[in-house]
Amino acid sequence: MSAIIEVSGVAKTFRQPKRLPGMGGALRSLFSRQFTEVRAVQDVSFTIAPGEAVGYLGPNGAGKSTMIKMMTGILVPSAGTLSVLGREPHAHRMTNAAEIGVVFGQRSQLWWDLPVRDSFDLHRHIYEVPEARFAENLAFLTSMLGMADYLDRPVRQLSLGQRMRAEIAMALLHDPKILFLDEPTIGLDVVAKDAVRKFLARINRERGTTIILTTHDLQDIEEICPRLIMVDDGKLLFDGELPRLRSALGSRRRLRLEFGTDPGPINLTTARLVTDDGAAKHFLLDSEDTSILDVLTELGNGYDLKDVTLEEPAIEEVIRTFYQSKPQLAATTP
Amino acid sequence: MLRTVILMRELVRMYIRTKVEYPGAMVLGWVSQFVSYGAVYTAIALIIARFGMLGGWTWSDMAMLLSVHLLTYSVGASFSFTQFREMEDLVRQGTMDAILVKPIGTWLYMVFSGFNIGYAGHVVLAVGLMAWAITQVDVAWSLPTVLFLVATLVSGAMVVCALMTMIGATALVWVRSRHLYSIFFGFWELARYPITIFPLPIQVLLLAVVPMGFISTVPVAVLLGKPVPLLGDFAGLACLLAGPVMAGLAMLHWRWCLRNYQGAGG
Repeated sequence: MSAIIEVSGVAKTFRQPKRLPGMGGALRSLFSRQFTEVRAVQDVSFTIAPGEAVGYLGPNGAGKSTMIKMMTGILVPSAGTLSVLGREPHAHRMTNAAEIGVVFGQRSQLWWDLPVRDSFDLHRHIYEVPEARFAENLAFLTSMLGMADYLDRPVRQLSLGQRMRAEIAMALLHDPKILFLDEPTIGLDVVAKDAVRKFLARINRERGTTIILTTHDLQDIEEICPRLIMVDDGKLLFDGELPRLRSALGSRRRLRLEFGTDPGPINLTTARLVTDDGAAKHFLLDSEDTSILDVLTELGNGYDLKDVTLEEPAIEEVIRTFYQSKPQLAATTP
Repeated sequence: MLRTVILMRELVRMYIRTKVEYPGAMVLGWVSQFVSYGAVYTAIALIIARFGMLGGWTWSDMAMLLSVHLLTYSVGASFSFTQFREMEDLVRQGTMDAILVKPIGTWLYMVFSGFNIGYAGHVVLAVGLMAWAITQVDVAWSLPTVLFLVATLVSGAMVVCALMTMIGATALVWVRSRHLYSIFFGFWELARYPITIFPLPIQVLLLAVVPMGFISTVPVAVLLGKPVPLLGDFAGLACLLAGPVMAGLAMLHWRWCLRNYQGAGG
């Protein structure tokens, strides 16, 4: 399938005035202003196919929002080529905007003093949504996101979770082909986060809307995005599926075997013993190819085995390991 | 075009609805503007009553000048002042990004989503004063003079709107630009008086650098047949051209700033 977004060697450099220390420095900078160049995005390339859900992940200052802003036509890349739906986003900002939806977790696009419904109506005019389609989408999104109770309440009276649901609904009212979300779950409570994640996963699955989201919350990626793009210092570090990242780092799956009585020391070639609590023993599976069956086969039948638990490594752990070892990995990932 | 008109109507409707949410504040705003301008004009009237004239202008000439000054400003500012004054906040808080991802002209959205009906107090006072001044000044009113007055009002409002746009647009690149409004309002104050009472450097500034002279003092001088320094017979044409020329410059500046917009971080 041909790509809906193509990013090739894209860079973005910001020119910022140099701040000199102290009062003297501040006065000096008034007369001889010096600038430094901050490279927010450096030589980033990737493509995204229609219907994909991609998590764009990185620490603060990694260049996530800058990339989203370039893809949505807000910022102009300093180098490289960028194509969204076959167009250069900044050069065709308005045409591009008509076919995408954008949600900013920390900035509202709703009219603060007016009922949610009024913002939706204005959105219909701005995006020229036919009335019948608008009514259909509004009914669907209201029911899916449970907004019926507060559609006629002023935005200023809504909780953060309610507001975010309204923001997401508004971004989908014109049937965008791509939905960009910049930190959509930031500040939400557990219940609201869960509702937003489930909804986005469903929209991606059922409507085929391409989703690109930046987040700090790894649970967002795990529940919504099969594909992960990781960046740091403006550079792309990893692009692929989460299991591939786990595999690239070496499997860290933990296996817990619980016996009726302490069987004594157990040495296996398929699993490495890390904790021995007598009747409960914890192993690490070093290879992605090793299955529970392999371990149990090697263990044999001579033990009073009561329970087996396999734990996938937490995504937080995978990411932490990744960033700790990024100099070595950067060279090996695409 | 039809879509643009519908959008403008919808945006203005939304803004008015937000204002009507706080009706007390809206009415109080109108009254306070009416009273504050009334006080300034009374002071000017008292000075002229004491000294007879101001730079050769009688009180009725001055009333015409003040009414044109207030009307061009209030019309131009209703399309621009509060909208572009907020620009640096929009940039700093990242709200500008949310406007840039809409399939609508950014300037159009800014202007009409903040179309300020709060200037109604200004307009009522200006129109009332002008209606009285028209009957008092020594002008042989005819179709050309009336058309000239209307055209210069439009041109003057365009100058105001263009300058406000340029100051606001600067925030897209500098992030902070609100301090430039102090310069704007400094010259705006000067434009309340006959240009001939100022020394040459200020006349040059009012005509060429911050061309606020064209929102009031120059067009009214032309109407009243009074001399206009530096421009002479070209003054009438200059009044008509000032608005479109400034609008063109503002458009170029706006586009350049949008192209060079960096956001405020993130």
